Amino acid sequence: MFTNQHIDINSLPNIDNVALKPISKQYLKIIIFNKLLVYLALFTVLFLARFIVDKEVIQSNFWYLFSVLLTVCVINFVLALLAFSKRKYAIREHDLIYAQGLLIHSITTVPISRIQHIEESRSWLARQLNLATLKIFTAGESGSDLSIKGLPNEEAKQINDFLSTKVNANN
Amino acid sequence: MQITDFSQPIRQSSKGIIIIFGFNAYKFFKKFFVLFVAFGLSLLKKKSFANLSPTIILLILIGILLIILAIAILKYLNFKFYLSKDDFHLSTGIINKDNTIIPKSKIQNVYIKQNFLQQIINVVSLKIETAGDNKSEIEISALDKPTALQLKKELFNKAQHTEADLPLYDQTDVFFKVSPKRLILEGLSQNHLKSFAIIASFVFGFYYEFKDYFKDLKIRDQVEKVVDLDDESLLNLLLINVLIIAIGLLFSLIFSVLKTFVTNFNLEVVEHQKTIEINKGLFNKVSLSLTPSRIQNIVITTNRIKQYLGLYTLSVKQAMVNVKQQKNFAIVALEKVQVAHLVDKLLVNYTTAIEVFKPEQYYKRILALKLIIPMVIVNIPGFIIFGNRMWWINLVLVFITILYIYYGYKKAYYKVNDDFVVIGSGVIDTTTNILETHKIQAVKLRQTIFQKRRQIASVVISTASKDVTIPYIKEKQAKQIYNFLLYKVESQDKDWM
Repeated sequence: MFTNQHIDINSLPNIDNVALKPISKQYLKIIIFNKLLVYLALFTVLFLARFIVDKEVIQSNFWYLFSVLLTVCVINFVLALLAFSKRKYAIREHDLIYAQGLLIHSITTVPISRIQHIEESRSWLARQLNLATLKIFTAGESGSDLSIKGLPNEEAKQINDFLSTKVNANN
Repeated sequence: MQITDFSQPIRQSSKGIIIIFGFNAYKFFKKFFVLFVAFGLSLLKKKSFANLSPTIILLILIGILLIILAIAILKYLNFKFYLSKDDFHLSTGIINKDNTIIPKSKIQNVYIKQNFLQQIINVVSLKIETAGDNKSEIEISALDKPTALQLKKELFNKAQHTEADLPLYDQTDVFFKVSPKRLILEGLSQNHLKSFAIIASFVFGFYYEFKDYFKDLKIRDQVEKVVDLDDESLLNLLLINVLIIAIGLLFSLIFSVLKTFVTNFNLEVVEHQKTIEINKGLFNKVSLSLTPSRIQNIVITTNRIKQYLGLYTLSVKQAMVNVKQQKNFAIVALEKVQVAHLVDKLLVNYTTAIEVFKPEQYYKRILALKLIIPMVIVNIPGFIIFGNRMWWINLVLVFITILYIYYGYKKAYYKVNDDFVVIGSGVIDTTTNILETHKIQAVKLRQTIFQKRRQIASVVISTASKDVTIPYIKEKQAKQIYNFLLYKVESQDKDWM
């Protein structure tokens, strides 16, 4: 029988009541490592430029450039550290939630019935730390695809299994 | 109408050889265009190229054309297709044989197109699109029109058969046919800034390519003479700039009108029982069908002048169609009633009577920031070049900014009910974005730290073809919408496609 009852908006499952779980602390190491690599490269280029290129512009502005890069580097690291605690996820009966971002905070929810496929990927570093990245693809624009980085490998597998069975049951 | 039997493997019309040949030759010449120009130039200068006489070069060219022709014939001979009960079969390939099978139920769209060459020899091409990646597209490049129509019918007929056993083609009528007058009005009332940008970038690109020639013309010296900054020549410079802009705008106007006219010539909307068909185009004739279940978003655009003239554009975003074809799904120069009728037809239960909400005042700040930042950036070089003399230009800019904020905020609104999300936006244009709640793929709440303090957030709603944003509303409300939309998607067992 068809019914069409009035819905009380306040009684709906609320996103505020979901206990979001932080990702593995280990992943911070990967973030720091990646950032270190980038800044190491940038600083190397800067120093190489100082000692090899014989141009007045670079010589006279070297310390200026250096301090700018250093400030950017420090700010970037501090923000990355602060933002790390914002990376959280949760799985509900019908959907998957992922929150991230310090300056621009976003909470994305993908209903399980809309998932097209799931991918589990592990970089070399992630394998050493026993972590995994779970990528959830929907049919939507790239904005609606989720990629949850830094899950403990075991948990990523469990989630993957859970979601896969759910997705297959739906079809 | 003669009836073609599609159950046996058949080839396309033998005119297909010409089409394939023409297409490949065109591709070949396009690829080596630069080389040909080089050939031609050096021939003119030295009467020979790399020790080859003109006759030999001509022979080589003829040889290449013959090879292309041979390939075209072989391609034609090896291109066969047929229909079985549930699938479309296609075998292609001269040396590597490819066998493609497309289940009819997976067919997204069937287009009938006609480019210039095809119009001359009176054939059409039929394109079959599936939901997969772009590579899975199939094009049969030469069919005579009745056969193409029949094939299209059969492809769609059976594809839909599983969904509903309704006879599809009993009720068809031409719902809308655009008149040339309305098309011209449509072109005239377009947002010319866009065409202006296209033309400007083209001119710049052109200038860049042929820099050396321009250098010979000593334009530089003349420009430098003008930029000699005493007050009189400053006025001259200003006049010249105004003139250039005026000419540019005139060109963009003509460009807009021509473009609208060529792409939408003879635009025709045909209503079938369940689908809607669009035919249009002067040189490239296209024919598209829309199936309501595949529609993800509907966007209605108009602007002040168009509203006055009663011109509305309805564009339909379907799932998994590439950008080029997305553009073709726009129906221009509709009247308001017709838009309402089409929306009613495409969206079941659509109603405009939903409570309207506005974004928070905070949105005005964002709009202001969007213009003030570039304004400041423009001011810096302006100050360096002109010194203190040109500050008054800022007055104009401030005026524009105020208008921008006023209209940007005025036109922004959103409506949410059980079945639909409607979002209004636009500054020069007035845009209405409609999507059905069960087509939502993901929902996202977005908030910067500045907005967190003010308890303001935006909701980004993704469908399979587009992301739309409800901008800057109260956090509490945003969360309610968020929860509600998720509830709607998850509690209904409705497919998004």
